[in-house]
Amino acid sequence: MEVLLSSMAEAFRLLFSGNPEIWEIVGISFRVSTLAIAAAVPPALIIAFCLAYGNFPGRRFLISLFNTFLSVPAVVIGLTLFIVLSRQGPLGDFKLLFTQSAMAIGQFFLCLPILVCMAHVALQAADRAAWETARTLGASTMHAFFTVVYEVRFGLMAALLAAYGRIISEVGASMMLGGNIAHYTRNIPTAIALETSKGAFAEGIALGAVLLFLAFLLNGLLQYVQGKGSINP
Amino acid sequence: MIESFRIDYRAISMNFGRQRVLENIALTISSHECIMITGENGSGKTTLLRILAGLEKPAQCDVSIDQSRPEIWRRQRKHLLKSIMYLHQQPYMLDGSLRRNLEYAGKLNPDIVDVETAVNKALQWADLERLQTQSAMSLSGGQKQRVSLARARLRNPKVLMLDEPTSSLDSESRVRTLQMLREFRDGGTAIVIVSHDPESFTELATEQLHLKDCRIQSGAPPGEDVVSLNQARQSQQQ
Repeated sequence: MEVLLSSMAEAFRLLFSGNPEIWEIVGISFRVSTLAIAAAVPPALIIAFCLAYGNFPGRRFLISLFNTFLSVPAVVIGLTLFIVLSRQGPLGDFKLLFTQSAMAIGQFFLCLPILVCMAHVALQAADRAAWETARTLGASTMHAFFTVVYEVRFGLMAALLAAYGRIISEVGASMMLGGNIAHYTRNIPTAIALETSKGAFAEGIALGAVLLFLAFLLNGLLQYVQGKGSINP
Repeated sequence: MIESFRIDYRAISMNFGRQRVLENIALTISSHECIMITGENGSGKTTLLRILAGLEKPAQCDVSIDQSRPEIWRRQRKHLLKSIMYLHQQPYMLDGSLRRNLEYAGKLNPDIVDVETAVNKALQWADLERLQTQSAMSLSGGQKQRVSLARARLRNPKVLMLDEPTSSLDSESRVRTLQMLREFRDGGTAIVIVSHDPESFTELATEQLHLKDCRIQSGAPPGEDVVSLNQARQSQQQ
């Protein structure tokens, strides 16, 4: 108990004293995850839209496939991409392994199914008449697409926050693809794993506190967004 | 005032799986005309209307606009969506105020230069001025119907297609809707109405079609699936 309390006190001292190493790790985490989610949102929206409103062969299969990807562990995605990005792999020439880009690619594939599935549900819940009303009022396909996206914006925001929460806290893919290199690919979850293995609990708790605060913030935002969406404006 | 126009649909057929819903239907829509399509529940009225509006892909259909060479539906779909406005049985209101709904429609019409003024006129026309800041989703069925007709006024389509427009309206809203539709028809807009309450539209309709057994069956002569009330009236007069 004493160890826990002293570690927690040290953790807060580290955080609030502005320890540069801790904040550098936090910065890397945010940079990589934000890049991944920014890259995943446009294709996820388009895929979800096609699955919700399209009528093409293989649609049901694709829905099942994306639902299955939801439960794929991060290490499996990490392993697959490790093989693809390693020197002998098909994309080895790009020398991406153990870079922040590789971590972002891993997180991209982690958050894509979450975004697709949750956006698909949000779009399906929206009345198809929203799309048809926009089209019949003279909107182009693109304009009607953005109209529908605006109509289901609360559901889409919930998808975005859930996906962001998932990738910023994942350790498997980041460890395998980033290699946990200090000052370069060490992010919050990989740093926690390292510090804990070294017995440096204070650093681990400090970083864990940042993740916990972030999770709380995202959940609070999620509650707010979902609550706002459920109220008939 | 809408310029005169004509849209000819030929050989409309539609299946849902193996079940045939519409078979070899032909229809012509012209300016100033009001066609009413009646039929039992499940006879395919709404499906037919959605095909005509360019919203649902038929198994087969050829479309000719202003007597041009007939083209397959898929190629004409863009023109259909451009010329036709479809009004759902339960009008969809975009999230936001009633005014936002009208502004959305106004901004999409390139012919409208001053959207604010056009929206104000449409609000006045539909007698919705007092409700303009209210959330469109919280309006009653009759008010939503008026909003959708006000949006149609801003859109100024060549053809207005309505699916059961008076099904959930009280008698006052029904009279009001009919008045508004009459103004559209008199302005040259063609109207196609699907309803199983034909009596409401007797005065408005210039042509009545009855859908049964996948075909238009209004005592049309063999080989012809379209019967025009106007034609029937003319022949009676002769």
